[in-house]
Amino acid sequence: MTISNEHIGVFICHCGGNISDAIDIPSVKQEIGTSDIPVFDCEYLCSNIGQDLIKTIIDKHSLDKVVIGACTPAKHEKLFKKCIGDAGLNTSMLEIANLREQCSWVHTGNPAATKKSISLLNGKIKRIQTAHPLTPVQVTINPNAMVIGGGIAGINTALNLANNDIHTYLIEQDVTIGGNTAKIGKIFSPEKLAEECAMCSLSPLMNEVGSHPNITLLTYTEVESASGNVGDFKVTMRKKARYVKDNCMACGRCSEVCPVYAENDFNCGVKDKKAISMRFAQSVPQVYSIDPDHCIELAGTDCGKCLDVCKVDAIDFGQKDEFIDINVGAIVVATGFDEYDASLKPQYGYGIFKNVITQMELARILGVNGPTLGKLARPSDNSTPKNIVMIQCVGSRDEHAGGNKYCSRYCCMAALKHASLISKKYPDANVTICYIDIRAFGLYENYYRAVQDMGISFVRGRPAEVVERSNNNLIVKIEDTLTQELKEIPADMVVLSSAMEASSGTKQIARILDVTLSEDGFIKEKHSKLRPVDTSRDGIFVCGTAQSPKDVTDTIAQSGLAAARASAFISNKVISFNPHIAHMDHSLCNSCGECLKCPFDAISKNGSGNISINPLVCNGCGYCTKLCSKNAISIDGYKEEQIMAEIDGILEKGDVLVFLSREIPYATADNIGNSVARYPANVKIIKVPTTTIVARSTIEHAFECGSRAVLMVEEPTDNTIGEFIYPLALENFERIKAELGDKSARLHFKKAYIPNYRGLADTFTSLTEMEDGE
Amino acid sequence: MTGTMADPLSEYDTPACETLAQTVKKSLRTSDSIGISRCLQCGACTSSCPAARFTDYNPRMIIKRVMENDISVIEDESIWNCFYCYTCHLRCPRNNSPTQVVQVLKQMAINKGIGLDRLKVLFGYGDTFAEFGVSKIPDLYVGRMKDDFDIRWHEFKEDLDSVRSELGLGTVNVKDSGRGEIRAILEGIGFFKRQEKLKQMARTKKPIFESDTSNESGEITDEAN
Amino acid sequence: MKQIENIPDQGILLFKSCMVSVEYPGIESSTTYAFSKLGIDYLVSDEQSCCTGLGYYFDLFDQMSTTAIAARNFAVARKNGYTNITTLCSTCYAINKKACALLNSNDEVRLNVNSVFKEAGLDDLVYEQNSLDDVDNFYHVVEILLSKAKEIGRLNAIDFSGVRVAAHHACHYYKIQSDDMMGNPNHPLLIDTIAKSCGADVVEWYEDKTLTCGAGFSQIHVNRDLSLKVTRVKLESLKNAGVDLVLHMCPNCQIQYDRYQPVIEKEYGTKYNIVHMNIAQFVALALGADPKKVCGFKTHSVPLDDFLSRIGVSV
Repeated sequence: MTISNEHIGVFICHCGGNISDAIDIPSVKQEIGTSDIPVFDCEYLCSNIGQDLIKTIIDKHSLDKVVIGACTPAKHEKLFKKCIGDAGLNTSMLEIANLREQCSWVHTGNPAATKKSISLLNGKIKRIQTAHPLTPVQVTINPNAMVIGGGIAGINTALNLANNDIHTYLIEQDVTIGGNTAKIGKIFSPEKLAEECAMCSLSPLMNEVGSHPNITLLTYTEVESASGNVGDFKVTMRKKARYVKDNCMACGRCSEVCPVYAENDFNCGVKDKKAISMRFAQSVPQVYSIDPDHCIELAGTDCGKCLDVCKVDAIDFGQKDEFIDINVGAIVVATGFDEYDASLKPQYGYGIFKNVITQMELARILGVNGPTLGKLARPSDNSTPKNIVMIQCVGSRDEHAGGNKYCSRYCCMAALKHASLISKKYPDANVTICYIDIRAFGLYENYYRAVQDMGISFVRGRPAEVVERSNNNLIVKIEDTLTQELKEIPADMVVLSSAMEASSGTKQIARILDVTLSEDGFIKEKHSKLRPVDTSRDGIFVCGTAQSPKDVTDTIAQSGLAAARASAFISNKVISFNPHIAHMDHSLCNSCGECLKCPFDAISKNGSGNISINPLVCNGCGYCTKLCSKNAISIDGYKEEQIMAEIDGILEKGDVLVFLSREIPYATADNIGNSVARYPANVKIIKVPTTTIVARSTIEHAFECGSRAVLMVEEPTDNTIGEFIYPLALENFERIKAELGDKSARLHFKKAYIPNYRGLADTFTSLTEMEDGE
Repeated sequence: MTGTMADPLSEYDTPACETLAQTVKKSLRTSDSIGISRCLQCGACTSSCPAARFTDYNPRMIIKRVMENDISVIEDESIWNCFYCYTCHLRCPRNNSPTQVVQVLKQMAINKGIGLDRLKVLFGYGDTFAEFGVSKIPDLYVGRMKDDFDIRWHEFKEDLDSVRSELGLGTVNVKDSGRGEIRAILEGIGFFKRQEKLKQMARTKKPIFESDTSNESGEITDEAN
Repeated sequence: MKQIENIPDQGILLFKSCMVSVEYPGIESSTTYAFSKLGIDYLVSDEQSCCTGLGYYFDLFDQMSTTAIAARNFAVARKNGYTNITTLCSTCYAINKKACALLNSNDEVRLNVNSVFKEAGLDDLVYEQNSLDDVDNFYHVVEILLSKAKEIGRLNAIDFSGVRVAAHHACHYYKIQSDDMMGNPNHPLLIDTIAKSCGADVVEWYEDKTLTCGAGFSQIHVNRDLSLKVTRVKLESLKNAGVDLVLHMCPNCQIQYDRYQPVIEKEYGTKYNIVHMNIAQFVALALGADPKKVCGFKTHSVPLDDFLSRIGVSV
C-alpha cells in the first residue's frame, strides 16, 4: 500500500476490553497488516508498557510514521505525540483513529464495528502517507512580568509574582501606590462583625512592594503604547517628572515652607495640601512630588522656597518626563474603577446641594487622615448631621442612558459599614438606608444582621428626588414600597451609593493592549467560569475592578489567581504554537488581498505589498483557504489531498460522511460514545479545523466514493471561534449547496452543543435512513 | 361571537393575548423595549408620580397587578388619574412605562364599556378633526373654562380672528384640499367605525367589542350585564 | 442624544399647533419672527393638520389612526421639500416621532396605513420606509433656538439682568423619547441656556423642576381639583425660588400656568408675582419684536404690562 519508501507502523489499543470487546482485533490486524505495514496491539497503549512498546518498535522497524487506533485523540494525542517525539520522529508523523468513541462505544454488539474500525484505520494510513513533517513555531517567553495599576489588586498580584521568583514591574500612574483602598479608611470583617483599619492592612503590603528585590516600582508613570507578541510584549511608558529626586528623605520641610495650597484629590478636592506634598503619610515611595499645575516656581514666579530648605538637594525643577521601554512575558491589568458621576442623576442633588455626598466621600470624611480628621461633619457648615439618609443603586441597576445596567456589588456592604461606623461613634445619629434589595451574599449576611441589630432604618424603595428646603437641610422623597406610603424623609446629609465604573485608565489600557471590553466597559475575561482572569489576548491577564465591580475581598482573591496564571504562563518558558495553521504558497499568491478578511487579523500586507500570515495569531480555522482564488493558502495537516486520501480510505458505498469542526462538534461526537448512545456504523467522521476548509471538490469526491450524504457540523456561535466562524461556515455551506445542483439535497449542515449529543446522534441516524441521503 | 361587532383597530392597541402583560407588550401604544416583566417593584414610578402624590393611584401596584394578570385592574378608577406626564417612564430603571401600560388598560376598559361617560364628551372631536384637521377642546370643557377664566380671555376668544390677523397669521383650519383626505383616511383606517361602536355602547351601556376578551376569566362584573 | 452642531437651520417645516393657534397665537408669530431674524429657512404649511395629540391622550384616538394622520403630514413635509419637522408643542413632537418610528420599524403598520392611502386614491401620501428618520427629522422649536443661543445673546437688545427666570420644560419633549433629547433628561437645561445667553438671572434647579404642569390632557377638565393641586405645587416652588418669569415650550403647559394661575390664586387665597411666556416669545422680544403685534401678549391671562415696563419694553 505504501507509495514511498516510508515505513508506517500501526498500533491498536484494546483499552482493557473497551475496544477489543466490540472489535475483533485479530481480524483487523489480519486485514490491515502487510509486509510493509506491521500492525501491533497492546492492552493499554497509554500505559508505560504501551509507550515503551511504541518506542521500541519505532526503533526496531525504523518506522517513519505511526498510526494509532485507540480512544479519542482528545484524550491522549499529546501523550502519543510526546512518545513518538521521544523516539526521534517529528510529532506530525502521527495519526490517531478514534476506535473507541467513534466505533466500539457507539456500535457495541454490532458486527459492523470491526469492519468500520478497519476503514477508519485505512483512512488514517492513506492520510499519513501524504503527510509531511511540520515544525511548530516556538517563542521563548520573556521571564519578566508587568502589573499595571498599583491599587490593592496590583499590589497583591505583584507580591505574589515576585514571591514566585518572577521579576515584576509594577506601574502606577499616581505618585504613590495604594489606589482606592488607601482612601476607604475602614474595611469590614464579616467574621468579627467589626470595622478594621484599611491602611493597617494595606500599608505593610505597600512597604513590601517598595522593598521587594523582585519588584521594580514605577510610580507617576503611564503606559503610552505596547507592541510585540505573545510571550514578549514591549511596553513603552512615560515616567512623569515629579521634580523631586529619589534621594528625598521625606522630611517634609519643603511642604512646610511651600506657600501654595492646592486641591487634594485624595481628600475629595479639599484645599488641604501644598503644591509640594506627599499624597498621604504612608505613601510608597516615600518621595515628595511637585504638582506642576500649582507650583509657582514652575509657572515662572521666582519662589524656590522648597529648594532652599531641602537638606539633601532633592528638588530638581529641571526634571523632564522620561520614556522607558520594558519587555515582559506576561502582563496583568489591575487598573481599577472610577466612582460613577452622581451629578448625572441631578434629581438626587449631587453637585447641586452641598450636603449630598457619595459613599467614597463619606469614607474620606470618616477617615482619620481625611479632611475632617475623622469627625463626621456635613460640608455646608461642618456640623455633625443627626439624620443621615443613604440612597443605594445610584447609577447601578439602571437601564437608562447615563446609568449602568449591572449591580455594582460593593455598595450594599459599604453602606452597611458606614452606617455601622456612624452609629458606633454617634449613637444619637439616625441612619436610614433606602434600598431595592440588600445584597449581602454568603457570610456577609452575618454583618448585615449585626448592622440591623444596631437600629439602622431600612426603607425599601428607590427615591424619586432629594430636595433642599431650608438651612441646607434635605428631604428624600420615596415610596416605602412595603407599606405603600409616600414618605418625605428629613436628612441633614444624604449619601449616594454611586456605582463602580471601569476607570478611564482601564478603558485606555484596553485600547493600548488591544484586549476586549465587555459591553459594560470592563475588561472582558475569556470565560466567566473557566478563564476568569484571562483576557482576549494570551499572556495578558486582568484582575480586580478592572474586570468587574467587586469588593476588596474578591479583588484580593482574584489578584492571587491572576498572579498564578501569569506565573504559570511564564514558567512554560517556551510557547509552542499549533503547527496546523495557514500556509501561504507565495508563488501562487497574486496579492489580491482577499485573505485579509481573516476574522482573527492573522493576515496582513506588508509595506512592499506581500501577504504574510502571523503564525502566532493564526488559529488554523481555514477560512482564508476559501477566500483565495489562487488556492495559494492551505492549512498544514489539512491540505485537500490529505482529506481526500482519508476519504479514499474510509468510505464505502452508502456511507454518510461527517465533517466535524475540531472543538465543540468533535467533543459532542465523543460525548455520544461516552453516553453509550448509538448510531449506525456507516457514519464516518473526519475531523477538520472548521468546516470552512471543506471545498466543493472534496464533497464531490466523497459522493464519487459512494457517500450517500455529507454532513458538516460547525462550532456554535457561543464559543470564541464559532462566534466568528459560524456565519462564515454557513455561508460556505450555502454556496457549495447552491453549486452542487441535483446533488445539493445530499449536503447538510448543523451546529453542535456538547450536552445535546443525542441531537447529533439522531441527525447521524436520520441521514443513514434517508433515501439517497436526501 | 354572535352579535359582536368587528373593530379592526382594537387589535392594535389592545391585542388579544393569553395574559395582560402580553397584551401590554404587544400593544402599539407601548414601546417595543418595554421592560414590564423586569419590574423591580422599586417604587421610583410611584414616588415620582404627580397623581400618586394626591390620590390613591399607585403605578407600581398597577404594574404588579398586570404582572399577576389581575384583570380587575381595568376597573380600578385610579387608573384615570394618570397625567400621561411620563415621569414614571423616564425614571423607571428597567425601561418599564407605567404610563403606557395605563393607556392600554384604559383602552381595554373602554372596550368593556368602562369610562364611556368620560369618552362620550369627546364624540364630536373626531368629526371636527375630519372636517377642519384640528383638535378642538369639547364644548363641555370650554364651558368650564369660561367659568374659570376672566374677561380678558372671553374678549380674546371672541376676537380670535382679528387677533390672529393682527399677528399676521392665517386661518386656523387646514386648507380645503386637506379636508377630504383626512376624512377618507379616518374612514379607511376604521376610526369612525370604532367611534360608532363606542357611541352605540355609550347609549346601550353594553360592551360590544369582544376582541380583547381573552383575558376574561369570568371575574369581570360588568354592571351593565 | 442629539448634538447641538447637528441641529438644522434649513428645510424646517414649522409644525402648527392647535392650542397655539387658538390660545396663544403669539407663540407662532414670535417663532416666525425669531426664525426670520436668525436666518432660519422654514415653511408653514396650511395643508398640515393637527397631530391628533389631544384625541390620543383623551384616550379617544388609537395608535393606528394617529399614525395614519402623521403619515399624511409627513407627506406634506416631503412634498414641500421641508423635511425637518419642527414643532411648537411638545405633544406634537412626541406623537410625530413615535409615528415615524412605528412606520419605519413596524411593517404591519406601514402596510396598513399605505393600503388605506391607496384605497382612498391618495397614492401621493404613501410613506416609504425610512424616508424620514425618527431622530434626525424631528425637532422642537426650542432646539432650533438653542442652536442659535449665542447669536440670540449677541442680538439681544433687552437688559434681563436681575430678572429671575426659571424654565418649565415640557414633559412630552424630554421624558417620552428621553434618549433623543438634548442634554440630561433628568435636568433639562435648553430653555435655561437660551435665557442665560440673554443675560437673565436663571434659576437652574428648583424643587419639582421636572414635575408636570398638571394639565394632564383631560385631567384639567375631568379632575380639575387634582390638576390644580399639582400646578399649585409648582407655582409654590417657583415662588419659593423667587422666580419672576417662567419660560415655557408647550402651549398646554402655558395654559395651565398662565390661565389657571389667577384661578389658583382665587381658590387658594394666595398671590403669585410670576408671569409666563413661551421661549419663542422671549427670544422674539430679545430680538426686538413688538410685544403686541408679534408676541401677542394680550392673549395672556396673567398681564405682562408691569413686567415689560420693568425690563424697559414699552407696551
